[in-house]
Amino acid sequence: MDLLNLNPENASTLLSWLTFLPLIGMCVVLMLPASNLRAIKIATGLFTFIPLVLATQMYFGTFDKTVSGYQMVQHFEWIKVLGINYSVGVDGLSMPLLWLTTILFFVAVPASETVPRLSKSYFVLLLLLELGVLGVFVSLDFFLFYVYWEVMLLPMYFLIGIWGGPQREYAAIKFFLYTLAGSVLMLIAVIALRLDTGTFSIPELVAIGKAGGFTGPALLGMSFTTWVFWFLFIAFAIKIPAFPFHTWLPDAHVQAPTPISVILAGILLKLGGYGLLRGCFPIVPDAFHHFAYVLGVLGVIAIVYGAYVALGQTDFKKMVAYSSVSHMGFVLLGMAALTEWGMNGAALQMFTHGISSAACFLVVGVVYDRAHHRDLNAFGGLAQPMPRYWALATIAFFASLGLPGMAGFVSEALTMVGAFQSQVGWTDEAIASGWMWGPFQWLTLIATIGIVMTAAYILWALQRVFLGTLNEKYQDFKDISAREVFSLAPLLILCIVLGIFPWFVLDWMEVSVADLMQILTFAG
Amino acid sequence: MFALQDLHLQGLSLLSPELTLVTTALVVLMMDLIWKERDSWRLGAIGLVGLGAAALQLVSAHGTQGTAFGLVSIDNFGGFFKLFTSAATGVCIVFVMLDRRERRHRIGEYYFLLLSAAIGIFFMVGTYNLLLLVLGLELASLASYSLAGFHKGEKRSAEAAMKYVVFGGLSAGVMVFGISLLYAVTGTLDMRVMSGALAIDPVGEGVARSLAVALEQSPGMVALAMILILGGFSFKISSAPFHFWAPDVYEGSPTPVTTFLAVASKAGGFGALMRFFGVLFVAPDVGEMVAAYRNEIGMVLALVAAATMTLGNLAALRQTSLKRMLAYSSVAHAGYVLVGVAAMNQAGMEASLFYLAAYYFMNLGAFGFLLYFSGVTGRETLESLRGMGPKAPMITVPMVIFLVSLTGIPPMVGFTGKLQLLYAAMGPAEGLQLGWLAVCLGLNSVISLYYYMRVVRVLFLEDSDEPRPEPQVPMAVFLCLMAFLTVWFGLFFTPLLDLARSGMDLLT
Repeated sequence: MDLLNLNPENASTLLSWLTFLPLIGMCVVLMLPASNLRAIKIATGLFTFIPLVLATQMYFGTFDKTVSGYQMVQHFEWIKVLGINYSVGVDGLSMPLLWLTTILFFVAVPASETVPRLSKSYFVLLLLLELGVLGVFVSLDFFLFYVYWEVMLLPMYFLIGIWGGPQREYAAIKFFLYTLAGSVLMLIAVIALRLDTGTFSIPELVAIGKAGGFTGPALLGMSFTTWVFWFLFIAFAIKIPAFPFHTWLPDAHVQAPTPISVILAGILLKLGGYGLLRGCFPIVPDAFHHFAYVLGVLGVIAIVYGAYVALGQTDFKKMVAYSSVSHMGFVLLGMAALTEWGMNGAALQMFTHGISSAACFLVVGVVYDRAHHRDLNAFGGLAQPMPRYWALATIAFFASLGLPGMAGFVSEALTMVGAFQSQVGWTDEAIASGWMWGPFQWLTLIATIGIVMTAAYILWALQRVFLGTLNEKYQDFKDISAREVFSLAPLLILCIVLGIFPWFVLDWMEVSVADLMQILTFAG
Repeated sequence: MFALQDLHLQGLSLLSPELTLVTTALVVLMMDLIWKERDSWRLGAIGLVGLGAAALQLVSAHGTQGTAFGLVSIDNFGGFFKLFTSAATGVCIVFVMLDRRERRHRIGEYYFLLLSAAIGIFFMVGTYNLLLLVLGLELASLASYSLAGFHKGEKRSAEAAMKYVVFGGLSAGVMVFGISLLYAVTGTLDMRVMSGALAIDPVGEGVARSLAVALEQSPGMVALAMILILGGFSFKISSAPFHFWAPDVYEGSPTPVTTFLAVASKAGGFGALMRFFGVLFVAPDVGEMVAAYRNEIGMVLALVAAATMTLGNLAALRQTSLKRMLAYSSVAHAGYVLVGVAAMNQAGMEASLFYLAAYYFMNLGAFGFLLYFSGVTGRETLESLRGMGPKAPMITVPMVIFLVSLTGIPPMVGFTGKLQLLYAAMGPAEGLQLGWLAVCLGLNSVISLYYYMRVVRVLFLEDSDEPRPEPQVPMAVFLCLMAFLTVWFGLFFTPLLDLARSGMDLLT
């Protein structure tokens, strides 16, 4: 059975080029003299721009969105003895995220201008991080996936730990410990799957899971697939981060420098959601079915709790960080609903949140660079000295809030509709009596509280920062600079474009989401 | 008569690596008397040439099976450990040559003792005979005792030697007692006779029984013997509950000696332990009786492994001295390697060999780093490393790679090693469920991350006004090479897998 579509027309080395271009860039940067920071920045910019061009070309050109299955695959044996292969490919789930990755890394380079103590190693680590992220999105072999997954940890540790805020060391090690704990669980699950089926290949594992082919033993009263499901779920949930594994995120965000926050919120969190869709749910769909309502509950807790905590923040960046927890809750809720709408909404939410939260962090970074603090209550009336900044910030935050016509609205609306349609937990008697109501209907209802609170904290924050009386100290703040606009503009344009033409991403995902739904519902 | 001579010559030719080392050791001792130089690198070079020659002979003898004088067995399994020992001893000699704090007195004896300990390990890992095993172990230990106290004016060094002698003597006694019990119930000292692989006792008392028979007749005696022998091995590999000596001795000994103890000597202990338990319990034709007993032994080893890694890691968390931290870390790694042995199957044994090979690269690298910095700053505390990261990147960046590898994060060789061990622990088992041990190993990796990253944090995340350390080119080259190999074998580990697999001729 050729699950990778390994025919010659479909084979391509493009993805490998895309993945390893940052590595080449890293070698180039390493060879440049450390004193010439300008050349280093240009080289890094160039080596994030080339992947962007390549990914854009793939997105609009090479990638055929009407075809189901993996495209542009490359496959060869890596460690033959253990059956480990280098196999990469993309489908509609990974292609948009791949594109998003290259956009955000490109945006992060000019945004790094104001990072204190900037040095050559910063850019080396940034490129190494990009290698890891791109690698995860293209991997179709669990071993390869894991290697890339872990390659991201060390650069991230250093980027937060060296160039971060006052408590950077604490935040960096907390991030590392949380993620490694999750990774270890993933590794154990992957090895269990390998021992059971003899393969690391994700498509093969999905096929075996679909056929109910796992024969692993039950332990402590839980079946093999249940164990695998929870181990994988926790590993990815830490990355999302889902409640109750979210506590590393606010620390990491607040301490990280602006461009790293952008990447963290924009891409790294999406790896968790992507991991669930690629490597957890389709492999053990029956266990997923069984626990879908738990995931829905966790998602709604994240939505409401994240929004509630964000409401109470006085630190601008911490507020945005908690808004990420809240927004990523929608991803979990949409997936758990097990409806086509919900799944599309969740997948789209990953993309739109990647854009809007990245924009929000850039916006916070702009004001932080001028005021050197982020206390929401200390600002006020900034709209007067910085009118252009005000306009751009409003777009970014309204996109995050989910205003109709902006990116966040479409994905959240899809998710909510999908969750409301969900039939998870419906009993036969209830259906017979015409009472079309179950756990997910309640959950959707509760989630709307989160939406209201989201509007509240965002509007309140905007009000405190931009409106009211102007603080004397901030009178001569310079308006947003061309460099800052250059970082922000592509994201804001995407926020609006996606709000009006969501098919711009949805169409790309449609076929793959349908395939995924077919696998997931088949098991039920 | 002629035939007998022929036999002896053949035996001698099989022993050529050992003979090379003995000759080298004697030459070093003699030339030291002739040259009478205090600061001679020539003696070290002789040692290195000897070790290189022995290693070449070992490589060319790869695949040879044979027995010399009925006592010393030549096989790939022993070859693996002998090669490991020569390579590790070679690095230790290089460390002595590079050590800035070494006072260079009695330098000839220093090399001689290192070589003697290596010879001891050669015999320890290359025999099925328990008597020769003990002799080899004692030779290695005696040399190590004097090495541990080599800085005889230093209080710490003297204390280390004293502790080492007391613990070593005690555990050797315990082990010999266990062996004598085993001899009492089986009537032989040859492991293959015990396992039933050899019908006739080559030494020739003619009263030998196999372990299966002994188990039937006096199970209590066998159990006691096994526990006592395991205790002896436990000292050598510094596993719980006999690991208490390790941190003090490692800390007090000169760093090249610490390196030798933590890498070569520990691997030697594992060689002997794996041969003992492998032949007696894991080999395919051990019989039903022994196979049933195997699971109990496996469970004991699993408990020892779990205790060792957890105690080692928890103690390492609180250390402020880099040397002591690495000492506890090496205790924890002994626990990791034991996981493979505890699985009591071929995959597990392979995994242990693989992990030891991985351990070689990353741990020698870490000790090289320690040697360099203690030479530069005169201290071994973490504090003295503050802010050094960006000031000596050719030394500190490799160290980050070693630490990440020791934690077990890809794409480093330490990760692939841990992968194999997890594989072994979770693999198909007949009546031995070690899934919990896999989880324990995983959690221990997370614990260890904290203290390994503390070194990284002090190096890179904190600042100091200390001047840039004086560079040492050979050490930088060595560390970069080790770091490269750590990454290379992490990505392309087929050669190490093949090497580990070839060592499994032990079990056929």
